[in-house]
Amino acid sequence: MTTTTAVPLETWKSRRGYSMRRAVAPYLFVLPFIAIFLAFSVYPLLFTLRLSFTNWHGSGAAQWVGLGNYTYLLRSDAFWGSLANSGMLWLLIVPVQIVLSVIVAVLLDNAKLRLRGFYRVAFIVPFVTPLVAVAQIWIVLFDQNYGAVNGLLNLIGLPDVGWLVTSVWAKPTLALLFLWKTSGFIIIILLSGLQAIDSNVYEAASIDGANRPRQVWSITVPLLRRTIMFAVVLQTLAVFQMFAEPFVVTKGGPYNSTTTAGLYLYNHINRADLGTGAANSFLLVIIVMALSLGFVRLLRAKD
Amino acid sequence: MKTAFTARRRIPVARLLALGTAALVAVGLTGCGPEISSGDSNDSTASASMLTAPSAKSPKGEITIWDRSGDLFNVFDAAISEFNKKYPGITVHHEAVDIDAKLQNTLITGTDVPDGVFLDDAKVGGYADYLWNLKVVLAPYTKDIAPQKVDVNTVNGGIYGVPFDLDPGLLFYNAKALEEAGIDAASIKTYDDLIAAAKQYQSFKPSSKPIHLEQSAFLGQLQLEMYANQLGTSLADKNGKLRLDSPQYKQILGWLDGVQKQGLGTRAEYLSPSDVGALDSSDEVFYPWSIWFDFAPQQQLTKTKGDWRAMPLPAWTAGGARSGAMGGSSFVLPKAGKNSQLAWLFYKFLMYDKAGYTAVYGPNDIYPGGLNTSIPAYEPAADPDQPLFQPIKEMGNQDLWSTAIKAGKEIPGGAPIPSWWSGAVDYLGNNIQKMLDGSLTPQQVIDQSSKDIQANLIDRQ
Amino acid sequence: MTATAVPTRRAHRRPLVGSNVFLLILTLAFLAPVAWALVSAFKPAAEIISDPLGLDLRGLTLDNFRGMFHDVPIGSGFLNTAVVLVIKGAITLFCAPLAAYAFAKYDFRGKNAIFGTVLLTLMLPTIVLIIPLLLEMKQLGWVNTYQALILPGSVDAFAIFWMRQVISAVPDELLDAARVDGCGEFGIFWRVVVPVIRPGLAGLAVLTIMNIYNDFVWPVVVASSSKMATLQVVLSTLAQNITGHKVGADYATVTGELLAASSIALVPLLILFIVLQKHFINGILAGSVKG
Repeated sequence: MTTTTAVPLETWKSRRGYSMRRAVAPYLFVLPFIAIFLAFSVYPLLFTLRLSFTNWHGSGAAQWVGLGNYTYLLRSDAFWGSLANSGMLWLLIVPVQIVLSVIVAVLLDNAKLRLRGFYRVAFIVPFVTPLVAVAQIWIVLFDQNYGAVNGLLNLIGLPDVGWLVTSVWAKPTLALLFLWKTSGFIIIILLSGLQAIDSNVYEAASIDGANRPRQVWSITVPLLRRTIMFAVVLQTLAVFQMFAEPFVVTKGGPYNSTTTAGLYLYNHINRADLGTGAANSFLLVIIVMALSLGFVRLLRAKD
Repeated sequence: MKTAFTARRRIPVARLLALGTAALVAVGLTGCGPEISSGDSNDSTASASMLTAPSAKSPKGEITIWDRSGDLFNVFDAAISEFNKKYPGITVHHEAVDIDAKLQNTLITGTDVPDGVFLDDAKVGGYADYLWNLKVVLAPYTKDIAPQKVDVNTVNGGIYGVPFDLDPGLLFYNAKALEEAGIDAASIKTYDDLIAAAKQYQSFKPSSKPIHLEQSAFLGQLQLEMYANQLGTSLADKNGKLRLDSPQYKQILGWLDGVQKQGLGTRAEYLSPSDVGALDSSDEVFYPWSIWFDFAPQQQLTKTKGDWRAMPLPAWTAGGARSGAMGGSSFVLPKAGKNSQLAWLFYKFLMYDKAGYTAVYGPNDIYPGGLNTSIPAYEPAADPDQPLFQPIKEMGNQDLWSTAIKAGKEIPGGAPIPSWWSGAVDYLGNNIQKMLDGSLTPQQVIDQSSKDIQANLIDRQ
Repeated sequence: MTATAVPTRRAHRRPLVGSNVFLLILTLAFLAPVAWALVSAFKPAAEIISDPLGLDLRGLTLDNFRGMFHDVPIGSGFLNTAVVLVIKGAITLFCAPLAAYAFAKYDFRGKNAIFGTVLLTLMLPTIVLIIPLLLEMKQLGWVNTYQALILPGSVDAFAIFWMRQVISAVPDELLDAARVDGCGEFGIFWRVVVPVIRPGLAGLAVLTIMNIYNDFVWPVVVASSSKMATLQVVLSTLAQNITGHKVGADYATVTGELLAASSIALVPLLILFIVLQKHFINGILAGSVKG
């Protein structure tokens, strides 16, 4: 730190070995990652890609079926139905979750709030609870006749609702589970975004006399836009790949109303129909990719 | 001081993805993947996969046995010590495993494959490629095994599972409630009688919906197969040909539809809180179900605990079979197992040796009165006069053993389970529920399910 | 406190009551289901199903825990999870930032193609890779080994994406200064970048630990031997009778044991989060896209 600081950057840059080192270093840095990535992500990915053109069922030799698996899926009502289910779940989950999380994050982003630490832990508890336990909890709480939720509805004079047994309500109930389980994480992402906002902007606003909700809407939300979009993209990926939640709670029922895109894909694999499963996952990638790019573009357009 | 290597704030996502995809596709189609053959390769090496009995006098070795966790695991665990009295040289590694999640993958990789696996009957067919054909070793016993159990383990003439339990369907009924309503259960001989009795009970207790209607798509389809088995049919014949469009299925679906339309059915999932509530309030008094429903009075019901009894199912036509099978399991032996012959000795002991089946079904630490949720599929073990499990005190000390054995003998054969059975739940199982909702007629259930099962399951095998 | 209170402060006090009421109600909804599970784990198994909301303090019992310890290898499950957690976590926390550093701060041939592939795998549902990966494990002879539990997914696409985000925010001036000081390229990463991104690393650490701890799809498949079963494999073995359409005589027992096992499994993560929550939140702050 003593002598070298005096050397001008340009002189230093011309030193021998500098450019060599600069050129080789990044390759060495990515090497451990690339090795693991090639071996355990890219190789199986290529395997899957090849599989998607065969009718392989896990044993014996596979037969080449060309685009057969893809055309079967694109013509199948069940495939489009699973996408529609995921789309519906997205609509039920993401907007509500984002609004709720923004409100909670804004409330939590207040140094004067005494129970801040408690609230933060409370919201994250569902996020760290094992899913198999969560599923059992949901099944019991949302039972049509004996669940606590209908018990509460009855108290205020409302009739029983068939939460998990009617195709109308199963999706919202599943959406609620997902909301409950993942909102803690989204709240913290937004909270971190909020903490990056310079508090001076609020002071300027409160001098202008803007009330709190107005401030949030007209100042916080626009400043938080990129963080919100980040959360939206994350949750879009999560919702369209969702499989464990419906798998353990509803098994996709009633009437496949909760057979999500991820669960439908899993069903092929579970039936050892590996070729169709592979094709299904690539179709899913294309859709998720289009959606993510759509959101990114939306973000750009407003910049 | 912006230099060339300043990170771009924004990631050009679209271009990056296009690059990544191109890179992958370029390598992808040339490289890795399963062996792909151009022609048909249906070489069924049936003879090569036939298991033979071991010849050694005192066999030695280790076997790994998979069972699912729970009480049944403990029952088999206890039976192992009995097995070792006879075969001290064989060490049994008994593991509680999530079989549905693990078996398929273990068989595909062929690594650390267990020597024996406990499996639902409905799943045996799907794994037949990986399993030993047990026809030869089972030959001495086949004639004494319930025909229904032989059928469900038979694929293309080979037998791929050691039948474990027979699960006869029975009509469970709330004897006390029926008595109060003045109904004589013994008079119920056909399903028409059952409807009449249900109507009588409903006029006695207007809030009631006496007959159970299953709301789970899976169990609903399983129950449908019980009814169909009574009529000697099942979803597919032994060649795998779909036979849903038949007078038998029309009759059954029509009956279920009638129960629902006349308001005589409690629609609930098997022993869900809703179901238990209706049972315990005596609103639901008839439960045509597999023998394992006896678990409810023993462990789940409170108010009506001692009131339940079981009798043979009604018949579809006077004089017809009074039972059909619902559920059941078998033991399969993967070809990739290391000591399959020794595993066969293990199952042979458990199922066909008196010391073995007594250890499984008789009184033990886990079930002091014996294992009473199914009966043996092996006839010498299923002797109506020599009960292995005790009368059930929560069912008024009814001798369920002899009731179930007699019902078991009535189960017709000729009802194999196709390998795609579980997959059919998405179509048939769901359509039955839609019918009970009132949105499909029985004929529509048959037509739509047949079309979808053919297109999505059979044609894509 | 009273006389000196500035107007803005007073203006803020009233909304705080509202905030607290709102947040309390919401947290109650977030905590109640978990509290139910914890309490039910101590109830007799049959009562959990027949009377899910009832609570008889005299009836509380450790039977579910006893049965669970007897029936499933939860002890070795914890041990296996610990081994995997430590090694896999270390690999992720070293390799991901190092590679992400190269992606964020260097230009090199193939960079965009590689990073594009990373993004692509981020969008691929991971369950589809399971069978091919399993066959690969078979070829390597790795089925039922720690390396099979550890290496696949040890540097996942999300970790790279996340760390790239964190490291992009490090000013280039800092790196150039270090270069001028004669620091080697790895030295820059180790002595300059790592200290600066420590909060981001902490965030990645918590997310990584959570993912490894709660992962069950891959371990269930690759660790078929009970000796290699991780905690979540043990849990899913218990859950199979409930989730896999299994309706036998042991439904109630299994539910009780499952809740007991889940309660035990929940505790370490909860403690971890309470202890590390500041770091976690600051870490997310570093990794997520900011306004």
